[in-house]
Amino acid sequence: MSGCGLFLRSAAAARLGRALVAFTASRRPLRTSPPSQAFAKELFLGKIEKKEVFPFPEVSQDELNEINQFVGPVEKFFTEEVDSQKIDREGKIPNETLEKLKSLGLFGMQVPEEYGGLGLSNTMYARLGEIISLDCSIAVTLAAHQAIGLKGIILAGSEEQKARYLPKLASGEHVAAFCLTEPASGSDAASIRTRATLSEDKKHYVLNGSKVWITNGGLASVFTVFAKTEVVDSNGSVKDKVTAFIVERDFGGITSGKPEDKLGIRGSNTCEVHFENTRVPVENVLGEVGGGFKVAMNILNSGRFSMGSAVAGMLKKLIEMTAEYACTRKQFNRNLSEFGLIQEKFALMAQKAYVMESMAYLTAGMLDQPGFPDCSIEAAMVKVFSSEAAWQCVSEALQVLGGSGYMRDYPYERILRDSRILLIFEGTNEILRMYIALTGLQHAGRILTARVKQLKQGNVTTIMETVSQRVRDSLGRTVDLGLTGKLGAVHPSMEDSAHKLEQNVHDFSRTVETLLLRFGKTIVEEQLVLKRVANILINLYGMTAVLSRASRSIRVGLQNHDHEVLLANIFCTEAYYQNLFALSQLDKYSPENLDELIKKVSQQVLEKRAYVCAHPLDRTS
Amino acid sequence: MSWAQAILLARGLSRGWGGICSTALTGAPFSQVTPQAPRGLHCSTAAHQPDSPLVPRPPEPQRGLVKALAPHEELFRQAPDGVRDKASFVQAVQNFTQYNVHKRGHVDFIYLALRKMREYGVERDLAIYNLLLDIFPKEVFRPRNIFHSIFLHYPRQQECGIAVLEQMENHGVMPNKETEFLLTQIFGRKSYPMLKFVRMKLWFTRFKNINPFPVPRDLPQDPVDLARLALRHMEPDLSARVTVYQMPLSKDSTDATDPTEPHIIGIQSPDQQAALAHHDPAHPIFVEGPFSLWLRDKCVYYHILRADLLPPEEREVEEIPEEWNLYYPMQLDLAYGRSSWDDYEFNIDEVEEGPVFAICMAGAHDQATLAKWIQGLQETNPTLARIPVVFRLSASSGELLASSSGLEEPPLTPPEGREEEENNQQRQQQSQS
Repeated sequence: MSGCGLFLRSAAAARLGRALVAFTASRRPLRTSPPSQAFAKELFLGKIEKKEVFPFPEVSQDELNEINQFVGPVEKFFTEEVDSQKIDREGKIPNETLEKLKSLGLFGMQVPEEYGGLGLSNTMYARLGEIISLDCSIAVTLAAHQAIGLKGIILAGSEEQKARYLPKLASGEHVAAFCLTEPASGSDAASIRTRATLSEDKKHYVLNGSKVWITNGGLASVFTVFAKTEVVDSNGSVKDKVTAFIVERDFGGITSGKPEDKLGIRGSNTCEVHFENTRVPVENVLGEVGGGFKVAMNILNSGRFSMGSAVAGMLKKLIEMTAEYACTRKQFNRNLSEFGLIQEKFALMAQKAYVMESMAYLTAGMLDQPGFPDCSIEAAMVKVFSSEAAWQCVSEALQVLGGSGYMRDYPYERILRDSRILLIFEGTNEILRMYIALTGLQHAGRILTARVKQLKQGNVTTIMETVSQRVRDSLGRTVDLGLTGKLGAVHPSMEDSAHKLEQNVHDFSRTVETLLLRFGKTIVEEQLVLKRVANILINLYGMTAVLSRASRSIRVGLQNHDHEVLLANIFCTEAYYQNLFALSQLDKYSPENLDELIKKVSQQVLEKRAYVCAHPLDRTS
Repeated sequence: MSWAQAILLARGLSRGWGGICSTALTGAPFSQVTPQAPRGLHCSTAAHQPDSPLVPRPPEPQRGLVKALAPHEELFRQAPDGVRDKASFVQAVQNFTQYNVHKRGHVDFIYLALRKMREYGVERDLAIYNLLLDIFPKEVFRPRNIFHSIFLHYPRQQECGIAVLEQMENHGVMPNKETEFLLTQIFGRKSYPMLKFVRMKLWFTRFKNINPFPVPRDLPQDPVDLARLALRHMEPDLSARVTVYQMPLSKDSTDATDPTEPHIIGIQSPDQQAALAHHDPAHPIFVEGPFSLWLRDKCVYYHILRADLLPPEEREVEEIPEEWNLYYPMQLDLAYGRSSWDDYEFNIDEVEEGPVFAICMAGAHDQATLAKWIQGLQETNPTLARIPVVFRLSASSGELLASSSGLEEPPLTPPEGREEEENNQQRQQQSQS
């Protein structure tokens, strides 16, 4: 026992060391080093990179103490002083609340300490996100400020730019905003109309154009703006390319429209921002001239993982409130909590919260490892899963309250409205699904190229190999990827779930191979197929995350770890069958696959731009 | 008994088929099934011309006025103020039944009434058809035994009944329960009008909505509205915009014969606009026409603005920009494409045509009018000013009639001999609609 404890402690120490490295590493400027981790990508090839996800990432005791000291006052502030209902009604965050947020340092959570920020690691940032999300308007305001608004400066800014802007941004004296979206350009960078032209003295860029739906657009004094500039190519031709700029409001020519009236997150400030002959010094180009596209992509990819913990924090609070109601409200002399259909909803909420929390902290832990891991697929999966779970769970919670939930006296309708945006911003879930599937398929496709080529050319040995592999699979060979067993990473109480994961991963890799053989690069056009691939991958990642987390909880003896095991087993079984279904749909000529019919229906509807069917009461005679 | 029924059935079927076949082969109306059917045995007592055919003959206005009137013609000339509407038609029918208690000459009257319906504008009114059927005496013509049903019982009356249904069919009027009730009362279940009725019931419902591009039953009279409708009918893109470049000079000149200010209405979709904007000004574009378009019984003419297809070497290849999508890759960097066993594209030899940039309908088909259209188009398509436009107008050989008559009502009483053509034509349109 003591040996075990020793082992654990030494492991913790090793991780502590790693975390410290990460701490210092995060201060290094962004490099385009080859991604060192690829857990999700390897899943496409049927491999589970155990060392990336087992054991579940931990933080050192010191760090934990530090963050707990910090979490206390923030939580107190949010529960006692922030009046979310008022913020929602008035559509504005009161100034004193903003001041308090600034004094708590929440405007510079990820800004390195030397620039006056808190310099939090991704894990710590996720932890704080749990509390900040108690009010969605504040969470969105803060996220727009630091997850995207000033992130560009941290990721791609030069030392001078960092020294000039970060301290004031970290203190909250200046608020940042991220200006990418335009009326004609959502995710389409080619249609950006805002233009920056170099002045004659070559010292300034003159910026002209309009940006829409800019969060913090009215409050911000520093903008990260993306605009088209003329760039001379290596072969001498002139091309329009996107460039990122740091633009201060004081440069002049910047006007913001009136705040938009939104469905949810009404307290956050969203408006149009117009630039008219704004003169931006050349020193304020972020990254390289013409390199704005990469900057934008990096910023967008880096910020997504935190949604998981934020939503989990909100859900935990929601479960408390709803459970309180369900255990006190009596119908037919019984508490609501005694009805099976109500109980089911709580199980669902707990399960979703558990999964997204596990995914979020697993991803944060991966990101905190040294070497700038590329976890953008994982982050996107966290975002997709958590936003959809949030919408579903909030809706179920509201359902528990019945009619009361629909009333404005209760916070449920506000939370429902607020959570709807989660599926839309930071890349809509549809777009992120494409990203998840295509990035993974690209990786798998590159590695499988040789094999696919041989198969297509009719290489006998490869074909025989493949056929015999498939035959063995169909004969019910059990897959063992080494998650369980004597020295397995997964605790024996979840052995079944681990087998399910292994089985799914194996089948998934086979399906990926078939899909690549079938569609090749034209798979880009098969969005319904890609959606299923993404869904399966999200489930696989969720399964891995809960298995890893629950195993750790058992082994270190956390409180209520048996409950975690329950949740993990439930989720894994559900996800397993969902995956099986999706995989069978991906087969050729699968009877479960209705894509062709679905496409036909939508084509006819869209051709008519209306509902096509005749009215049921119509007659022909 | 069953053999008798079988014979009856077979007989009825063969008759029915014969009817259909002969209709299909000769294009003659259904009522000509048995032109030499034994007649006279049960003829109505009304005096009739022995040579009068069974088909409803159109009135012969020129001869009819100078020569002998058709029997009962006077009933339809009683309206004092000359108003010809449903009420006066009903009045005429009622007059017949009132003054003719024995229904003498009702077959002739019904034929006459059928011919008159269009004049009174009631040719699409189901109630009127039922009223006409109601003229027949009830129970008299019902077959009373098996031989009656085998042989055409009261052929002249049955054919008259079929003629009523036939006219209903030509005008797309669906018979209802009352029609059925009347027919069973008059001719019984085992009769040819009933067979016709059942077939109409079956096929009308199936054919009613068979046209995926329905044309409204009543076309607008105003040429501008008609042109709008026709343009919308031709243009598949729902976001296309109809523009009226020139209204007809005054309301009086809606017959579009006035050459000074004919109407000009055009349609252009955003895609066409974009295509025109990208058109290379070095290549000319063409105004071509007039082409005809039939909307029910009206023919309208349109012109198109089109270009020749670019030779393959001059076409720009659309390439995917490198930095396009901020969120996901738009193309995969893989060496292999879709495998052949997942390629469901048929190998179709497609004849590619040049792009059509806009369509217009004008009251006149001369170059001056169409030049005004091009001028109007230049406002929304600035590049058009730099592109040479060639007018390739065919002389009005493509038109069936003079350009003006295309927009006029067809004559109400077509001259003799055209009736059948018109019937066929209507049938074609109905099968299309």
